[in-house]
Amino acid sequence: MFPTKSRADAVVDRVDWLTVTLLLGGVLLCYYLVPLASLLLSQPPGVVLRRLGEPDVVAAASTSLATATASVVVASVFGLPLAYWLAAAEGRAETLVTAVVVLPLVLPPIVSGMVLLTLVGPGTLVGEAAAANGVPLTRSLIGVVLAQTFVASPFVVVTAKAAFEGVDRNLEYASRTLGKNRLTTLRRVTLPLAWPGILAGITLAFARSIGEFGATIMLAYYPRTMPVQIWVSFTTLGLEQAFPIAVILVGVAIAALVLLTTLGRNPLAR
Amino acid sequence: MTLTLSGLAKARGEFALGPLDLSIADEVFCVLGPSGSGKSTLLSLLAGISEPDDGTVAVDGRSMNGRPPEERRVGLVFQDGALFPHLTARENVEYAAEDPEYVGELTEILSIDDVLDRRPASLSGGERQRVALARTLASEPDVLLLDEPLSSLDEPISRRLRGDLDRLFDTLAVPVIYVTHDQRTATALADRIAILNDGRIEQVDAPTTVLERPASRFVAEFTGNENVFEVRFDDRNGRGPRIGGTLLRGPNDRSEPAAGLEATPGVSAVTVCVHPSRIRFPADSDFEDAAYRVPVTIERWLHENDSYRVFARVNESLDLTATMSRIAFDRLDPARGDETVVAIPTDSIHVLEQSDSR
Repeated sequence: MFPTKSRADAVVDRVDWLTVTLLLGGVLLCYYLVPLASLLLSQPPGVVLRRLGEPDVVAAASTSLATATASVVVASVFGLPLAYWLAAAEGRAETLVTAVVVLPLVLPPIVSGMVLLTLVGPGTLVGEAAAANGVPLTRSLIGVVLAQTFVASPFVVVTAKAAFEGVDRNLEYASRTLGKNRLTTLRRVTLPLAWPGILAGITLAFARSIGEFGATIMLAYYPRTMPVQIWVSFTTLGLEQAFPIAVILVGVAIAALVLLTTLGRNPLAR
Repeated sequence: MTLTLSGLAKARGEFALGPLDLSIADEVFCVLGPSGSGKSTLLSLLAGISEPDDGTVAVDGRSMNGRPPEERRVGLVFQDGALFPHLTARENVEYAAEDPEYVGELTEILSIDDVLDRRPASLSGGERQRVALARTLASEPDVLLLDEPLSSLDEPISRRLRGDLDRLFDTLAVPVIYVTHDQRTATALADRIAILNDGRIEQVDAPTTVLERPASRFVAEFTGNENVFEVRFDDRNGRGPRIGGTLLRGPNDRSEPAAGLEATPGVSAVTVCVHPSRIRFPADSDFEDAAYRVPVTIERWLHENDSYRVFARVNESLDLTATMSRIAFDRLDPARGDETVVAIPTDSIHVLEQSDSR
């Protein structure tokens, strides 16, 4: 009798506790969803849709899409090799390099912008030299890309590193004992197996680039990206004028989320 | 092909493998040892996955030191198969195949023709190992290494694959190094067995020699020989060797010392072993052979697969183990507590070590 009763008590305990966790967590969930819904519903969809075609909105959207794409390409070209190296590295070197990679993630974006300005801004050695050769590093598309790459590329490195590490080392050894060199092994075994994780990292970096504001506004107020345009509309014309672009950004965020969930490899959901 | 290891050594923290000196020709060479004895370290040195601290690995005189795995032509079948999960069984086998005709032969010998279009995840453990084996052989290596390929399989599947491996090995003209902790697999497949203990080789011999003439107490115990005991020489209570206080007597009470059991001045005792399959009971037809007689009490027995393991008590501190066929067991027809006599053939007594009198 006694053991049975105590087990029943335990079950009741657990159910109660689970209910409490859900109630507490539910508050937070509402806090996420209600403002989003109110943003989407605060203006009639027709009005928002009509504004989507306005020149400043279209310009900002094209700038953002082009620069975010470029940033992700740059982040991948340099970030994937670094991730592969990090996945193979061990000990102190790995810890140190990983810390450096994570630095832009923990640095406030506006500080990242300042840091970059001290290197490539007007009056700096690099900035002047580039500008003299017709490649302005601030107030240009390149400036936007520099800001976005700095802030978003760690997502590619960190996520791809985890993806590479998730590939069983023995599979790579198996390939090599079968006579295939490192490069062939990478191409035929490691990359195909790590691909979902790599794609997740690229998606995260893209989403982060699209939304980048702090570093971008320091490096390139012009040409305006969507977040900068939101800021300008908000400060000059009011909150409602900023809605159409905000809706686009929400759309991009949801699309990224769907892709990550489909890949089943959302590193933030592990 | 000949694989030669000269002074091969590798340390990993507290553990040290070697130095090992071995020459392995076109034969099946089983490395038998408990986990942690250095078997995997040895394979990774041979395959080029890690480099030795000292010594060389050579194939037909060509040193492999410093060469990456892909340049060695040393094939390795991993413990879990290590099949590429994103490729079908066929794509795995053809990954590094040199000759399509040979691939066809291999898939037929290994009976995997029916599963070639499936992914590894949907293969059974046995099928996975067969595909892994075909993949490695298809790359036509100069040396074949196998890392416990049967260890994760259920007994009947393991037994079937063991038979197929034996047939397959006969067709190969390369050194085969087969690493395992399972003495039965080693005995079944090997031309020679090396016993590895704590990074060192204790014995290299043919399977029957390893079983019946183990080089050390460790080898005897690790190969399942439980009959390791001390024979004492004591002049005060009459001449002749004793086990557990019982004088060893031959037929007709004649004490004919076995080789190694002659009373030697200065030697007070020797440690010997007797393979359990050599112990005889009165019901056996060959009981009358030259043998020591030891009175025992039947303690208990185990039925193992196709044989019986009978434990016979000599005294408080000593049990003898005898293995026998089902027929012999039925003839013996023992009951717990039966008092009988066992015969230990004099030529089955193998001396492991001597203890000098103080």
